[in-house]
Amino acid sequence: MATLALPEAQRLPSGPIKKGMSPWQKWGLILLAPYVVVFLVFVLYPVGYGLWLARHPVSYQKLFDDPIFLRSVYNTLAFVIIGINLKMVVALVLSGFFVTARTWIKWLSLLFILPWAVPSIPTILSVRFMLNPEWGLINSLIFRFTGDDGPNWLNDPMLALGIAMLMHIWKSLPFWTLILVAGRLAIPAEHYEAASVDGATNWQKFRFITWPSMRTLYLTCTILSMIWTMGDFNSVYLLTGGGPADLTHVLATLGIRYLRLDEVDMSMAAIVVALPAVLPLVYFMMKRLSK
Amino acid sequence: MATVSFQNIEKSFGHTKVIQGISFDIREGEFMVLVGPSGCGKSTLLRMLAGLEEITGGFIAIDDKVVNDIESKDRDIAMVFQSYALYPHMTVGENMAFSLKLRRADPAMMAERVAHASKILNLDPYLERFPRELSGGQRQRVAMGRAIVRDPKVFLFDEPLSNLDAKLRVAMRAEIKALHQRLKTTTVYVTHDQVEAMTMADRIVVMHDGRIEQIGAPLELYDHPDNLFVAQFIGSPAMNVMNGKVRRDGGGAHVEVAGGVRWPLVHGPGAEGQAVAYGIRPGDLRLASPDAEGAVAAEIVVVEPTGAETELLIQAGDDQLILVTHGRPKVNPGERIGLTIDPAKVHVFDQGTGARLAA
Amino acid sequence: MSMNTWRKAGTEAKLLLIGIPLFIWTMLPIYHLCLFAFSSKDEAMGGRMWPEHPTLHNFEVVFREQHHYLNHFWLQMWNSLFIAVTVGLLTLVVATAAAFAISRLKVRGGRTVMNLALFTYFIPAAFLAVPMYKTMGVYGLLNNQWALILAMTTIAAPYSIWVLKQASDKLPWELDEAAKMDGASPLQLFRLVYLPLMTPSLVAIGTYALLLAWNEYLYAFLLLSNDRDVTLGVALGNFLAADDSPWELLMTTGLIYALPPAAIYYTFKRYMVGGLTAGAVKS
Repeated sequence: MATLALPEAQRLPSGPIKKGMSPWQKWGLILLAPYVVVFLVFVLYPVGYGLWLARHPVSYQKLFDDPIFLRSVYNTLAFVIIGINLKMVVALVLSGFFVTARTWIKWLSLLFILPWAVPSIPTILSVRFMLNPEWGLINSLIFRFTGDDGPNWLNDPMLALGIAMLMHIWKSLPFWTLILVAGRLAIPAEHYEAASVDGATNWQKFRFITWPSMRTLYLTCTILSMIWTMGDFNSVYLLTGGGPADLTHVLATLGIRYLRLDEVDMSMAAIVVALPAVLPLVYFMMKRLSK
Repeated sequence: MATVSFQNIEKSFGHTKVIQGISFDIREGEFMVLVGPSGCGKSTLLRMLAGLEEITGGFIAIDDKVVNDIESKDRDIAMVFQSYALYPHMTVGENMAFSLKLRRADPAMMAERVAHASKILNLDPYLERFPRELSGGQRQRVAMGRAIVRDPKVFLFDEPLSNLDAKLRVAMRAEIKALHQRLKTTTVYVTHDQVEAMTMADRIVVMHDGRIEQIGAPLELYDHPDNLFVAQFIGSPAMNVMNGKVRRDGGGAHVEVAGGVRWPLVHGPGAEGQAVAYGIRPGDLRLASPDAEGAVAAEIVVVEPTGAETELLIQAGDDQLILVTHGRPKVNPGERIGLTIDPAKVHVFDQGTGARLAA
Repeated sequence: MSMNTWRKAGTEAKLLLIGIPLFIWTMLPIYHLCLFAFSSKDEAMGGRMWPEHPTLHNFEVVFREQHHYLNHFWLQMWNSLFIAVTVGLLTLVVATAAAFAISRLKVRGGRTVMNLALFTYFIPAAFLAVPMYKTMGVYGLLNNQWALILAMTTIAAPYSIWVLKQASDKLPWELDEAAKMDGASPLQLFRLVYLPLMTPSLVAIGTYALLLAWNEYLYAFLLLSNDRDVTLGVALGNFLAADDSPWELLMTTGLIYALPPAAIYYTFKRYMVGGLTAGAVKS
């Protein structure tokens, strides 16, 4: 047995501070770099620049003096609060519908995805034309059935905002329904079978089995949906352009309006004003998902 | 074939020190088994040798060359993992050839080596199959084949048989041993199963809590355990151990346990009154009549015939012991019997330190 | 009929009560799009439910670029395609590399980057639109297609990294160790072991990024203005501005624009569903 003439056993430091990096550490940094660069150049800088543009208190003064801005806040809140809750409740109901095993339901679920998969422009323009007061499909049908003229849909601010909300729901409902379906499928079938044996009604099954399991997911989806809806530009812009008379603007379209008026600082100020509402929700989501 | 040397190896995860300072050498061509309960540090030690864990303190050398700072792939070793770790998207043949492919080996050489390993392990019919199509035993063989193709200096096995069922384990044990006899490559084998250690090893390292308890050939550990831990870890069923005090009177000595039973020591070690642990293996107890000369009185509790042997659970005073004997003695539960003991087979350990007492 | 049959009929009725309105609700805007696309201008404006004389004439006009609004149809179609595919590929490259570094190589700062990415994912893209527009101006990239490509990659990357990381974490660790022992360098591990095993997720992410870029309006409209450079979506939006626009051609172009994403989604559907919901339902 050869004995080695080794130097005294040294204590190697347990951190990665060695002479030079192992190839594994080196490549880790190299492969992470592209995204880091993307982030620095196209997220951090623009955010910083945006905040810098919004630094003058006078921008906020102008903002709050602008009735359009105040109207937009109101619109956005209505959009988010009514729109989201309506959408999520429907998604919840539909999630139960889509887990029912029928061939025709399976086919329907394939079609159901379409609103989400196809681009917004053609479909929103399609609805816009459907609602044309003179020759649109909807008013033609109304005339045929009642002899009356239908309303000028997009010229009434309340109706127009409502339609925009419906468009938003139309587009995003499939996505959230899918997620809730996945949530439902995660519930073991035996729970329902045991409940059936115990004589539970459908409502009882929902209340005592489905809802407790889905509660957290539902809440998470609602919060995330609220954040994203505040950024929905297409539904309003492509439908009404913010009109009539700038009365249907929401937060997302407001930025572009100010940009067009060459008031970039107000554009950024509007976003900053929204941050106290958005950031806590984002924080909530981060806690949920980052591990 | 190569020698392996561990010198003052220490390992810490954060502030927790899991290996306390281990030194031993492995000879060329030796089949060395590291055995011990879960958490004793044997897998960690193996992984440090493999280069998969950082070495906090000390040196590891292969063939007299210190490998602490050398990458796994340059250490000329091959490892067989507990869960086989076969590449699911490659066929058996591709799995085995992978290491050569990485080095851009000559295709002819690759084919030859794979064929050679495949033949040894009877994998020829499976070369085009994917791992998911194979049974556990077959996958284990592919993992071994992958290691053989490398033609390394040292084979490392990390509990390779733990995921197999009992029967397959017995068969694979023999196969691995036969493989070693054929290839004669230095092998380091980690297991928690002392039967595997006993049947396969040239020498065994018994580990506990990050320290070496004893190193030696299997029978050496069986016949002369250095401490209580080794004595009770090696051997199945485990050694019977009774705690008591040494009493010397007149011509002989015995160990008196609570309850008054006296266990014969004859010329055994230990000072008068010393607290000791008295050990005797189940196979070293003999059945006798209760009045036989020097017999310890006992009563049979349970009789467990296993076919060729019989295990008896016996109550002697306050202690319960196991006796293993060949054949089928005509005894019944509740029967009173006597136990005779060959003094040469008695093991005496200090009750406090667990160390063996020198005769 | 027995009680059971009545009950079954009742259940079916309830299901249909949901299913039929749902079908109408889902398909109406799309059906209307097709209606216009297959009708002549007069018929379309006539407010009918069904084209009496369905025609392919509109498609002919669009494909032959026979209207001054459609002068660059094919070029714009190509722009959309080029940008979408490039975004898909670029996102794949950036996200796969990052996910590998974070998940398998356990790079230092990996968790921080993952959290930053997640944060970016939650913030609505519309908030970032105007600053991005100004930034691209600073970088001198306005009206350059690469501005849109890079912006969309930035938007698609965070979710992609997250999904890929989740999928990565499911791969057994011993595969990496076995590969290391076999002699693999980090790049060889990436190329020969990691990528093949991640293929389904890669397809899902590539499709996701591609669809995101193809369907995008706001960023495309902000960052590109030249008729020859814009995507088909933006061109449609421009169409809208004028009063004398041929609506039926607009709708036809819209339908054509909507078909590729639908086709791509359905082709890769089995990769998508798993990928998209996997992250969300982790509880």
